[in-house]
Amino acid sequence: MLNIENLHCQVETQEGEEKPILKGLSLNVPAGEVHAIMGPNGSGKSTLSYVLTGRDGYEVTQGSMVFEGADLSELEPEERAAAGLYLSFQYPVEIPGVPTITFLKEALNAQRTARGEDEVTAPEFMKLIREKAKQLGVSMDMLKRPVNVGFSGGEKKRMEILQALVLEPKFMILDETDSGLDIDALKTVSEGVNALRAPERGMLVITHYQRLLDHITPDVVHIMANGKIVKSGGPELAKELEAEGYDKYLGEAA
Amino acid sequence: MTATLTHTPAEQALIDALEGATGWRAQLREATRREGLPTRRHELWKWSDLRRAANDVTAPGRITVTGLDTPITDGARIELCVAATAGASAADAELVIPAGAKVTLIERYSAEAGALANWHLGITLEAGARLDRVIIATDTGDSAFIASAEIVLAPEAHLHQRALDFGGRLSRIETHVTHPGEGAEVDLGGVYLLDQGRHADSTSVVHHTGPGGVTKQLVKGAAAAKGHGVFQGKFMVDRAAQQTDARMTHRAMMLDDRAEIDAKPELEIYADDVQCAHGNALGALDETALFYMRQRGIPAVRARALLIESFLAEPLDAIADETLREDLKAQLRTRLEALS
Ligand SMILES: Nc1ncnc2c1ncn2[C@@H]1O[C@H](COP(=O)(O)OP(=O)(O)OP(=O)(O)O)[C@@H](O)[C@H]1O
Ligand SMILES: [Mg+2]
Repeated sequence: MLNIENLHCQVETQEGEEKPILKGLSLNVPAGEVHAIMGPNGSGKSTLSYVLTGRDGYEVTQGSMVFEGADLSELEPEERAAAGLYLSFQYPVEIPGVPTITFLKEALNAQRTARGEDEVTAPEFMKLIREKAKQLGVSMDMLKRPVNVGFSGGEKKRMEILQALVLEPKFMILDETDSGLDIDALKTVSEGVNALRAPERGMLVITHYQRLLDHITPDVVHIMANGKIVKSGGPELAKELEAEGYDKYLGEAA
Repeated sequence: MTATLTHTPAEQALIDALEGATGWRAQLREATRREGLPTRRHELWKWSDLRRAANDVTAPGRITVTGLDTPITDGARIELCVAATAGASAADAELVIPAGAKVTLIERYSAEAGALANWHLGITLEAGARLDRVIIATDTGDSAFIASAEIVLAPEAHLHQRALDFGGRLSRIETHVTHPGEGAEVDLGGVYLLDQGRHADSTSVVHHTGPGGVTKQLVKGAAAAKGHGVFQGKFMVDRAAQQTDARMTHRAMMLDDRAEIDAKPELEIYADDVQCAHGNALGALDETALFYMRQRGIPAVRARALLIESFLAEPLDAIADETLREDLKAQLRTRLEALS
């Protein structure tokens, strides 16, 4: 479903210099599978999530990324979203003045229009969002507030998953969605994610902690260091990391 | 002293257009005769060069004002359409809002390409009167359109003013308010949105002459490449105007590096027991928010429009009349979608 081959990516620093971050990353996530990526701070995990979703300033210099046969680098961010790519941001963004509910309806209908589907009507949308909000324990009051403005760290993460439940993407990238969540919230949010697991859907779960993977069991765990995947294995790899740390992989990445 | 000024064709056209005029129009004629059209050398025209904006004007034009026959009584809704043809022209009117009356005044400006239009209102608010003034300057694109008002309040009077300005070769909305305090309140607000080559100037002076006056001002703007926004706001507080509470804010968004926005918020205070503040902030579109919206599937143009709209709309939210408020917000939205 998602095929990344020998991907090299650089970002432009504030000083205007090109800084290579991804250095030959390869990764395949077939439909129906959940892959986890773990790796030390600064290894390039968020960079991967941004380059996949098309953020400005993240330039692919070599390699390819293909999603369901389409070359992602040729698509605008909104086209990638309409194709089904969804990123739960490590740091969700505040949008003052735009109520969450308006934002989500706008997003859903924009995606549907781009796919040649009919827009959902206001009553249909309200029904949908009420149901999903209930599923995630989010109040309608909160949905009337501007996107992420004044939300706590954990509330923002919960909101990211609520948005995913409404938009029903084909492929989700969760960038440290577990950080900032309390124990109960982690459970609710994981249930939300698990509800989206399906044979036609893929997921890439970026995390530092085994505790998320206790709830969302991955099919494959990858270790990323210095811009590359340095080891892949089953769920036991995450447990091993928890016990031993990254030390033995850092040498291999250099 | 003899006047030795050589008039530009536009100045001569304006002087000719005002031949035989009286009152404010005669003052405008004499000021033009004496000093010409204002340029950046004039203190109150620091960033707006009217002489230059009117440089293709060579003949007198016509300005028509409809709606002035509406009786000004409690509950009245006065809708003035001020329309200028090409060429130099000026018109003015006096309005008195009777004691205790609540009145809505809507002014719609339009001008043909090549107009140099001057429109002036003298407004008196008697004790306890309330005036909701809404200025819609969305159709003056290729002209120089100068609207000025001299508004005098009595105690307990309320002035609530909102303006929506899409700019022109030069669009200027100038408001002078005499604020006596003693229960009187002034709320001035405005929005400007400027596409390529458009210029809008919001200039205001609120003169607090008596104690306990309350004044609020919020102007928000956005300018695209080669758009030029100007905000000049001045609060004067006399020695007698103790306990004045006056707050001024101007916030603007540069939509492109080649936009220009100039702001001069000023306080001139002679009383010692007052609460006065001014704030001025210039920013750019939040690129991170833009990406977040696009990641959710909202096309770039629409995401941009939504972000700018949510930033600009705040002053318009305070328009009491719902139909009017929605009309202005819809105009803003349409304009945003078409922004280059
Ligand atoms: N715009 C930028 N300018 C300079 N350096 C950058 C820029 N963006 C990312 N980097 C650097 O690239 C490296 C990878 O960053 P990235 O955010 O992808 O790491 P990460 O693996 O997600 O880390 P964490 O676990 O802390 O979230 C870091 O060293 C970071 O400082
Ligand atoms: Mg990260």
